[in-house]
Amino acid sequence: MDFEIVSEITDVETIAAGTSVRDRARLRKQYGRGRWRKLKGVAKVRLLSGRIRLAEVHWYEAHGIGKREFKLKLPFLD
Amino acid sequence: MKKAEKPSAHFVVCLNNEGYKASLEVGKLYRFIPDKEAESEGMIRVVDESGEDYAFDAERFHPVSLPAVVEKALLAASTA
Repeated sequence: MDFEIVSEITDVETIAAGTSVRDRARLRKQYGRGRWRKLKGVAKVRLLSGRIRLAEVHWYEAHGIGKREFKLKLPFLD
Repeated sequence: MKKAEKPSAHFVVCLNNEGYKASLEVGKLYRFIPDKEAESEGMIRVVDESGEDYAFDAERFHPVSLPAVVEKALLAASTA
């Protein structure tokens, strides 16, 4: 991960599930078969510069596998 | 003879996909979106395999200059 999440993730929502997860085949290949979902939420993140910003983060999740590939959406929320 | 086309810079090549093996592929070209906020943090905003743009460590990528005709084709394909 290219940043560190330093707070609780709030406002969690599923933004894609099942066949609407575009990376589904790649997720299966890398992490295993599962019911992959793509989720978003809001958290404070520590960036490479050391600065802390409020940002929307996205990630993939499947039951029994867990959360994978947290990614940072721009623009920052603060 | 055709005039040489001036290369532009809207694409980067991925050098490192550690931690993002579903979202990025090493050696693949990705469209980057100029973003001063990202750049000020040592990051780069890139459209990844999901089709959405995210901020990644700029060290994961290297800019690529492509002939305009190639960029036009890649941009058309990425927005299709």
